Amino acid sequence: MTDSDAEHFPLLTDAGRAMLKRLREHPHAPRYTMECGNRVTADDLRRLQAFEHFLRETPPDWPEGALPTWLDAYLEHAYAQVPAYRRRGPRPTRFEDIATIDRGDLSRAPWDYVPDDVALDGLIVHKTTGTTGQILRVPTHPVVSSGSFPLLKVVLERFGVTLTAGAGQVGVVLVGWQRKAFTYPSVTPQWGDAGHLKLNLHPDDWRDPADRARFLDDLYPEVYTGDPVAFEVLLDLGLKTRPKALISTATTLLPGLRTRLEAAFGCPVVDLYSLNECNAVAVARAGAFELIQPRLYVEILDPHGEPLPDGERGEVVLTGGFNFMWPLVRYRTNDYARRIWRDGRPVLVDLEGRAPVLFRTPAGELRSGLDVTFALKHMPLAQFTLHQASDGVLTLRYSGAMARPDQLRAALLEVFGPDQALELVETDLFAAPGEKMKQYIAD
Amino acid sequence: MILLPPPSPLLRHYNSLMQLETLLRRIAETPPEFFEAPFVGRSGMVHVGAVVHDTLIELGGPEPAIEQLRDFAPAKADEQERRRLRLALLTCWLLGERGFRSRDLGARALAFLTGSELRELAGLVDAPKLVADPDRREELTRLTLRALGLRPAGETAAQAQDRLATVSSVEAARLFRESQAAEQRAREVREAMARKAAQEAADKAYRE
Repeated sequence: MTDSDAEHFPLLTDAGRAMLKRLREHPHAPRYTMECGNRVTADDLRRLQAFEHFLRETPPDWPEGALPTWLDAYLEHAYAQVPAYRRRGPRPTRFEDIATIDRGDLSRAPWDYVPDDVALDGLIVHKTTGTTGQILRVPTHPVVSSGSFPLLKVVLERFGVTLTAGAGQVGVVLVGWQRKAFTYPSVTPQWGDAGHLKLNLHPDDWRDPADRARFLDDLYPEVYTGDPVAFEVLLDLGLKTRPKALISTATTLLPGLRTRLEAAFGCPVVDLYSLNECNAVAVARAGAFELIQPRLYVEILDPHGEPLPDGERGEVVLTGGFNFMWPLVRYRTNDYARRIWRDGRPVLVDLEGRAPVLFRTPAGELRSGLDVTFALKHMPLAQFTLHQASDGVLTLRYSGAMARPDQLRAALLEVFGPDQALELVETDLFAAPGEKMKQYIAD
Repeated sequence: MILLPPPSPLLRHYNSLMQLETLLRRIAETPPEFFEAPFVGRSGMVHVGAVVHDTLIELGGPEPAIEQLRDFAPAKADEQERRRLRLALLTCWLLGERGFRSRDLGARALAFLTGSELRELAGLVDAPKLVADPDRREELTRLTLRALGLRPAGETAAQAQDRLATVSSVEAARLFRESQAAEQRAREVREAMARKAAQEAADKAYRE
């Protein structure tokens, strides 16, 4: 085992080592761009097993017209241990009087939301811009990252899909489609070190574009996760193998694509509503988004922060989640929906805020929002939006005192080509109060 | 059994809000007997413990135990302690406002009356001076509201917190102490985050 593998895969088994070797040395494998692993320790593995059990045993709901019973203890801990909440003084009597937070708060001082009583040994940081354009560094932990696997497994059972991948097999393959992306092979310790991959389906990542289908068919993964743009590409690869399910995240999955994917792959295509700040929140089933996490309270607020009655449309606001490194209390997501009750459980309908956007270069090529995100990743921006008018002209609106326009321009022209018409606007105003801020818009 | 519908958001909203002006005026109009000398040992004019007891009952209880009221009937008291008793008395007058009544606020009110914030405020200003000073009136009112878990009508929770931090030297001192205490931990977390951000993260099953 290399030093790097020891760090990335603390529990690596012989089967896991063989799997990594296969994924790395496969004749049709892509050029991986980074090293990444699960970082799961023996103690983490026990916690993950307990988490899966907890997910199965605890329904993600609360009584209509009341608050969840776990909420009081959760808030007690947050107000005692989390500097950002403790600074406010005594907790208001009523939950509805607790001040909300938004992405700006988390973005400015993410460390202020890390509880005093968590050890920093296992801390890891996910950096993201998501779909709102505010750079966010999310303090998290390998148990939380790997918690996405049991969550996925339990969610798929709602669709009659049982995941069984184990040693020597490939479990989840996460596909993207970007000009540049972080890609890596990994293994999943709670599944007997089954293979796990993050891949970019963009042809530039492969020695031969036809290798994509050869590689994936040979691996025969149990599940693909990805965004709708990547799934469009996956559809065109002409794969011979069929996964048990496709999981779409990040942006809205439109019904037309879902139908085509279902027909082509003959499996459930599941739309997951997930946020970097809080992991997977809900899954689309029978016309509504059903909640997933047992300890996540979802409410709908008006622009002034007041709770709206069930059925009224407003901003989705979250309290709870399983990222114990970053407890959220009334976090405004900038996503909009209505909360209704179905079969005695809260569900979200008319969820808006994750529309996929594709831009065009002057040469007529397509670029995804993630390409732009990647290009601007290292710029000192507080927030930005990119709008492409119908004549192709791009307008970047941004805030960030240290940002240099010449660097921003160069980064975007790297993505769109030197002939791209581009306007830069420095501003602090990205959306009117109560309106969703859209990071990427193409007319 | 009659099943009542859940309270409407409007009603619940109304219940948590108090008119700041009403409370400020109430302090300004404090009756003279609330400035009388508190009983210390065998001398004094007002039994503060008895007033506290009655106030807590008016707020909806629970009834305090005798031990919980000992703090308000000391055998001896220096000037600082006497000021605290006078301020507790004044706060009881404030808590007598009709909007506070029968709302199960007794436990929170007792915690405030025996807590450090009132003690600190007493160290800064005596009750008669507080009543004469608009900013101090607002400070006591806002500290009391927050301790009860309430806030002024027309303000969001964040606005109420900001205004309290501006007007209250007790709150400013608390925030200062809080930031001092939190500084080392915040630095540790910041440094750990900077260190970890330079490394790669751990893998996830799906993109968020």
